[in-house]
Order: sequence, then structure tokens, then C-alpha cells
Amino acid sequence: MSLIADNAPARRGSGRVKVLISRLGLLLVIVLFMIIMSFMSPVFLTVANFKNLFIQSTILAVLALGQTYVIMTRGIDLSIGGTMALSSALCIGLTLYSGVPVPLALLIAVLVGAGVGFLNGFSVTKIGITPLIVTLATLSIARGATFVYTNGANITPVPDAIAAFGRGQLFGIPYSVILLVVLAIGCHAVLTRSIFGRSVYATGGNELASRLAGIPTNRIIITTYVISGLMAAIAGLILTARLESAGPRAGVGIELTVIAACVIGGTSLFGGAGSIGGTMLGVALISLVSNAINLLGVPPAWDDLVKGLVIFVAAVVDVYRRKYARS
Amino acid sequence: MTDVILEARGITKRFAGVTAVDRLDLTIGSGEVHCLVGENGAGKSTMIKMISGQYVPDEGELRLFGRPVHFRGPLDARDAGISVIHQELQLVPQLSIAENIVLGRWPKRAGAVDFEKARSIARSILPSIGLHLSVDTKIEDLSTGQQQLVEIARALSVQSRLLVLDEPTASLSNAEADRLLELVKELRGRGLGILYVSHRLEEVFQLGDTVTVVRDGKHVGTRPIGELDQARVVAMMVGDQRSLQVTQDRKPGPTILKVEGLTRYGIFSDISLEVRRGEIVGLAGLIGAGRTDVARCVFGVETPDEGRIEVDGREVEIRSPRAAIDLGIALVPEDRKTQGVILIGSVTDNLALSAHDKISRGGWVSRKAETSLVAGYIKKLRIRAPSPRHPVETLSGGNQQKVVLARWLATGPRLMVLDEPTRGVDVGAKAEIHRVIEELVREGLGVLLISSELPELMAMSDRVYVMRAGRIAAELSGSEINEETIMKHAAGATH
Repeated sequence: MSLIADNAPARRGSGRVKVLISRLGLLLVIVLFMIIMSFMSPVFLTVANFKNLFIQSTILAVLALGQTYVIMTRGIDLSIGGTMALSSALCIGLTLYSGVPVPLALLIAVLVGAGVGFLNGFSVTKIGITPLIVTLATLSIARGATFVYTNGANITPVPDAIAAFGRGQLFGIPYSVILLVVLAIGCHAVLTRSIFGRSVYATGGNELASRLAGIPTNRIIITTYVISGLMAAIAGLILTARLESAGPRAGVGIELTVIAACVIGGTSLFGGAGSIGGTMLGVALISLVSNAINLLGVPPAWDDLVKGLVIFVAAVVDVYRRKYARS
Repeated sequence: MTDVILEARGITKRFAGVTAVDRLDLTIGSGEVHCLVGENGAGKSTMIKMISGQYVPDEGELRLFGRPVHFRGPLDARDAGISVIHQELQLVPQLSIAENIVLGRWPKRAGAVDFEKARSIARSILPSIGLHLSVDTKIEDLSTGQQQLVEIARALSVQSRLLVLDEPTASLSNAEADRLLELVKELRGRGLGILYVSHRLEEVFQLGDTVTVVRDGKHVGTRPIGELDQARVVAMMVGDQRSLQVTQDRKPGPTILKVEGLTRYGIFSDISLEVRRGEIVGLAGLIGAGRTDVARCVFGVETPDEGRIEVDGREVEIRSPRAAIDLGIALVPEDRKTQGVILIGSVTDNLALSAHDKISRGGWVSRKAETSLVAGYIKKLRIRAPSPRHPVETLSGGNQQKVVLARWLATGPRLMVLDEPTRGVDVGAKAEIHRVIEELVREGLGVLLISSELPELMAMSDRVYVMRAGRIAAELSGSEINEETIMKHAAGATH
């Protein structure tokens, strides 16, 4: 099984050829984009640029891993930006102001991420609030708490161990990218090979039928939010390690880009369909666009506008691609 | 049957190389009930969709009142006088009867919707279809049968000349179904043409003037009803004669399930019943009598307020479906599409859904174990799917239901609760499902069978409990299991 086959969104189509075509659709767009860029910018096809590209997209990619799980169960997690900021600020703050040892502070940061995720999942399943509202609230709560804790200022310097992680490389590959690859492979394996992963597909595809089939759907949904919270905390720590500071404005507005990456990658907002491979392609496309804007010297003010247009076009292409796959 | 309303000649439709409808002819006249029958996947739905403008035929000609027509969409067809009542009703639950009847064609006054006019339109139609309710009643407060009447009212309000009814009685209680059949007869009397699609042959013979049988998209034959009998129609549908009758000489073993005084306030009360190894126990009753709710309690979906449940002689508390499964109980739920299958999931996903312990170790799925488990059941139940990787939604209803059955068999159950196991399933698949159940019971499985189809219930069951208004009205066995006795207890009167 390749990383991007299997339970693919083209599940309505008939047979693997169509699955392949619909999969290749996005890959094709990416390749085309890269070819055009290599003509338009002399630095595009350089090792340095690609390294930069990877570093830039790591945060987005880690967040998208968790988001994929949540969207697969028909949920949505808007709180990730806030969770990012809160967990990383707590981590640095605790070491700096409270003398907490770094490993314990890291653990606390990750637990806080998981905690926010649990709160999201619990509210969705047991209390019955819509995911959109719950996570909008927790986004505000988490970011607000960070503002209170940091007094609105950035916390710096970060402990040496964390800064070292941000700068460190193995055979020229940044640690953060290696971490991402490990996480992505893990998330992919869990989604496709584990009972939990199967249950995620089933719950998203038909929650009632899954419950009647003996799947603990509430527990599955809560777990997806916990995973998303965990990933948010990890993304926050990666960002902090790279910037060598933590602050309340980390990851403002990033949730929408993350959701866009998932959906472009074939994760269905109606649940039950999606893949880690697809999500990673979605992340790649969005990151390439940002990179292009940089390289082509487009004023930064254009960034959001162009990115938005690309997401829109990709979504339109995606709809037609699926229609084709289904016909 | 005087003037012809719709004439279809040589209609053909292909999907990705597969011919769904192959040169089909169909003629429907004014004041005629034309029954279209065939197994699931025979092409009936595709044909309806072409008549109603949802699909464009690849070949052939549609003539309406003698003039060739080319519908560009369902609205075109509706404007031309063709209305379809689909299986899934197309009403807005939050709106009133009147608003639903004028939906999309709101009467206007000074640019705003004229609600008074809407109400009067609705009021003028409702009595003629036997619906005596306030036109301001919200759709969600109506029974399925009443909702269907509202759809018919909507069709009448646009002066439809041809009414297409797709499995209209599938989700109705017997009384509601009878009322609907009466209405259809009356509409025929008013000169409407009616295309009636149904699995229930009794209805076809009660209602039809003409029968067209399709098989594999092809036209098998069109005959006046007088030239046919049920066995002949079944033979035309399946290609050969297959019996629905199941032989019975069972020797029940010890009791598996014993329910005593089970009560859920306001829904059912004081239910006591017993299911033994190797027997089929029927649970009869009208829709709304509480049969499904009892099943859900036994399966841990709902918690009873009073009473006790014993499994193998031990009192148990079943708090979740998982707990029920661990006790060896399985439930094939009543509504396949919303409760039974994950439509977008593959055959494999659906089939292996509940038997996780059999295909995994330490939480990780073994593909080998999964593939062989799935292949085994596909063969055993003769599930017809292009491949185990295909989404279940591409399968016919009968094969979908077999996937659900297989899923439960894979958990190794000792008691199976079957809630309407053959609803919306074609004759051939129905016989096969009956055969599978029969085989399992012979191997010692206990079955609690809920079915609104009395012939099925009577043929399969060793004993029958009849429920009425949330209580058990009678326990029948042997020769007492007959239509009259069951209906007498179910309806609380001689039927």
C-alpha cells in the first residue's frame, strides 16, 4: 500500500484506476506548479530553497495531521492556534519563571494540548455542542489564557535544549522535519492499519451504524480531538524552538489554512473519507504557493489574497475531479 | 384506459460502460395503474429517473401526450405533468403542510409570499386525499404515511397527469399502506396515470392494471394483470422459480434470552419473552407497537426502566451495543442505510466492523486475517460485489443486507435480533437471506425476528409474540400462527 492510496476519497468511483486519477489530480497540480516556478525563479530548484520550504511547512503539516483525524469524524478543530500558543508559552514560562526542568515543562505542554483536545471532544460528544462552537470557544480561551499568562509579551530566551532542537540538523535535515516525517508515518499507520483508525473511518462514515456495530463512537471522537490537541502542542513547541521565543500571537489564523490543506488533500468535511498522504499533498500545495509569493518578490501584502485564490481554485478543481471520479 | 399519457420507446442508459437500462418500452395510459417490477438493480430506479428528468436517456424516445419530450431536469418533467414520490420523501420537516405543498411555487402578493393563498391551496387538496389535519401542522409532527400523502398532495397541486410511486409502502404500517392503496385507486379513477414500483407483489395484484417486468435492465414482458399470477411474476423477475417457503422441523434447545417485565416508560411495558437455541421467535405488531424499542433495549442501545434480562440463565445489564456483542447478541437494525451500513465504506470495512478481535492483535489489523475473513463470508452468503474494496453503496439492497448479516455472523453470535431483515430487498436476495437464517438456526442460533411482512414472519417463526401498543398481546404457536389471529391481536379487533 502506498502512502496515498487506500480508503481514498474517490471511494464513490469504481475501481482503482479512478482512485489513481483522482489522487494524481492534486499531485499533477503540484508538479505543474513546480515546473512553472522553476522557469520563473532561478532559486526555486535549489537545495536551500527546498530546505526552507520544508521548514516553513512543518508547523502547518503537524497541525494538519491532527486536523485530518478530527475532520474524518465530521468534526472540526478551530482551537489549534490557541492551543499552540498556550502550550508553548507555558512550557517556556515554567522553565524561565518557575524553575521547572525542561523535560517536565515539555511534558506539561504536551499534556495541556491533550487536555484542550479532551475538553473539545468531551463537549462535542457528552454535552452535545457543535464542534464549530466548542472549538471557537476553546480557541479564544486558550489564546486568552496565553495573553493573561504572558501579559501580552513574548517570552524569551528559551532554554538551550529547546533552542538546540530548533537549530539542530541530522545529515543536513532539520530535526523538526525529521519529527514531522516520524509523526506523519505514525499517523498514517494508525489511520490505515489500526482498529482505532478503522473506527475513525467508520464513525465518520456513519456514526449511528458504527455505534450499533459496537464501536465506542464517543471515545473515538474524543480521541481524535486529543490527537489534534497533541499535535497543536507539538507544533507550538517546534515554532518556539525555531523562533527561540514563545508568545501569545503564535499561530494566529493558522487553523483556516490547516483546514484548507486537509480538504484540498481529499479529507471530506462530511466525514469518513481522507488520508494522511492526501493531507500532506494539500500542505505541500499551500506551502509552495507561499514560497512562490516570496521568491517572485510579490509584496507580502498580497500573501493572503493569493493564497486564498489558490485554495479556492484547488477546491473547485477538486469538486470537478470528484464528479469525474464518480461518473 | 383511453388516451396514452406517456410512451417510452427503446430507452437505453449506460453508466461507465454498464448498461443499466437496455431498450426499455413502457406505455402508461390515463386511468391506468402500471406496475414496474424487478429485482433490485434491475433498472427500475434508473428508468424512473429518466422519466422524471433526472437522467437523460442515451438512446430512445420519450413521448408525452404524443409529443416527443426532452427533459433537462426534474423541474421540466414536473412542469410537463410528471410527479415522482420517491422512497426518501422530499419535504422540509420544519415547515408546515401548506408551505411544503407550495414549496418553490409560492403564491405571491406584492412581492411577498401570500401565506393565506398557500393555506387555501392546501386546504382545497387535503380532503381529497383523506388527510384531515390543519394545514399549519409541521411535517415533522406527521407519521411517514401522512408525510407521503403530503407529497401526493403536492403532486396534485401542480395538476400532475402521471404519478410515479417508488416503493411507496416500504416504510408504512399495514393500515397506512391500505389507506395509500385506496388513494391510488381513487386517483386512477380521476384519470391519472400511475407508474407503481413495488417489491410487494400482493400490492401489485391488488392494484395493477398492467405489469411490466424488468430484469438486468431488459424488458422481460408487459402483460395485463389478468394474465398473470404471483408465481408467474416471480419467475419472470428472477428467471426461474424460487420458493419463499421455509421448511420447519426444529428442536429448540435451552433458553438463551429471557426477558421479564421489561418496561420503558411511555414506550412499552411489562414485556416478557424467551428465545431458545435453534428456534426463530417472531415479534409481530403494527408499526409503533414498540417492537423495535424492545430490540434496542435487548441490544443495549436503550436502557430499560424496569424489568430484567437474562442471558444463558444469568441476569445481565446491557449498557452498550459492545456489551451486547460480548454476550453473543447481534442486531440487524431496521433501517439499513442509516443504521446498518456505512455507505461510503468498502465491503471489507463494513463486514469486519464488529469482529475486531478476530482480525487484529494488540490493536493492529492483520490484513491477511481480514482478507480471509471477508472472503469467507462473501462466499458463504453469496454476496455479489465487484470486489471487497468496492463501497457498499454500489451494491444492491439485498447484497448490502447480506454484508450486515455477515458482519454479525463474524462476531459469532448466539442470539440474533433481526429487525425487518428483508425490507427493500428483492425476491431473490430475500430467499437467500431466509436460507442463511434457516441454516444458522439449524446450527443452534436463536433468532428474534421482527417483520411487518406477515408471510415472512409466519413462514419463518416457531412461535410468535404479538405486540400491541407497547404490550405483548398474545403468544402464538403452531396452527395459531396465521394471518387472522396475528392481525386480530395486533390491531385489537377482528381484521
